[in-house]
Amino acid sequence: MDKNNKIPFDEDNYTHNINKSNERKLDRRGFMKTMVGAAGLFAVSTLPWGSIAATELMGLREKKYPKKEIIDVKKLNIGDAFEFAYPTDHDSALLVRLGENEYKAYQNACTHLRCPVFWEQSKSELVCPCHHGFFDVKTGSPTAGPPRRPLPEITIQVEAGKIVATGVKRYET
Amino acid sequence: MKKVLYIELENCIGCRSCLAACTQCGGHEQRNRNYVIDVNPFVDRQTMPMMCLHCENPPCARSCPVQAIQVHETGAVLSAMTEKCLGCQNCTIACPYGIPKFDVEQNLMYKCDLCIDRTKDGIPPMCASVCPTNTLQWVTEEELAVKKSQFRLNNGMMASMEDPYLENKTNVHVSLPGILEGKEKLF
Repeated sequence: MDKNNKIPFDEDNYTHNINKSNERKLDRRGFMKTMVGAAGLFAVSTLPWGSIAATELMGLREKKYPKKEIIDVKKLNIGDAFEFAYPTDHDSALLVRLGENEYKAYQNACTHLRCPVFWEQSKSELVCPCHHGFFDVKTGSPTAGPPRRPLPEITIQVEAGKIVATGVKRYET
Repeated sequence: MKKVLYIELENCIGCRSCLAACTQCGGHEQRNRNYVIDVNPFVDRQTMPMMCLHCENPPCARSCPVQAIQVHETGAVLSAMTEKCLGCQNCTIACPYGIPKFDVEQNLMYKCDLCIDRTKDGIPPMCASVCPTNTLQWVTEEELAVKKSQFRLNNGMMASMEDPYLENKTNVHVSLPGILEGKEKLF
């Protein structure tokens, strides 16, 4: 169009430059410097993630959970389960007594679609009724069905004949 | 002080001094980059120097697929950069004057670069500095304007410079021979 009617038509690009004064300044060394500099910049920009990871790994940013009494030890027979809410009233949880001094507690919202998981005593496993998800009661990890992540475990202490929830373990892959 | 090469074609006597100067110039490796051609072979003895006219829109540089031919700030169209030239010979085909020559051994193009190491400092190119008949002149823009005004005819038409460019706009100016009415030519 109009570009071709000017002689010489003005070109200001790098791909078809024939003017010596308009030659690219980028030589191999400059290119390498640019690449190494960019790599260094990317490397430095990942440091915040490293510090975040370090604080997480050293446990500097552990969440504080309130202690909460769940139930008397005497009221819970071996093999039975008890539903409670922890840490808030909206987080339903499940306490299972597996042995004389062996307790396991999980937040029982299924990790698939948050249906309440219940304790199937005859098969001694945790079952989610909605889509037949099964969890291992020892670890909380899924054994069958749609859920793929373990149930969040609640740490338990026995204090003066009472079972007390002390916190929720972090989810780790 | 920008000076340009001006070619007064009628002065050429075919001595080929420009060829010798170009051939013996440093860095040219005994290869000349300009030519002296017969205007009418076997008809008369008139010769003319044929050198790169350094187009403003050079077809050689335009046709180069790798931009090996570059245009200097002074307007001179340089010879192919040896590190870029592919030896594809597009420029030799594109040039309307047949200026770029191809070195088969090195697989490179070479052409006149208006002695850029000299002319960028205002020193005339070798061919102009040796021309004995002022066919090749190294003149300022003002001198060139004076020369052009000398070729006006009485009817206001341009005689020799009616069409001042052979093919396209060039940085080397050529006086095409024409009929002069009572004007004695001053070199």
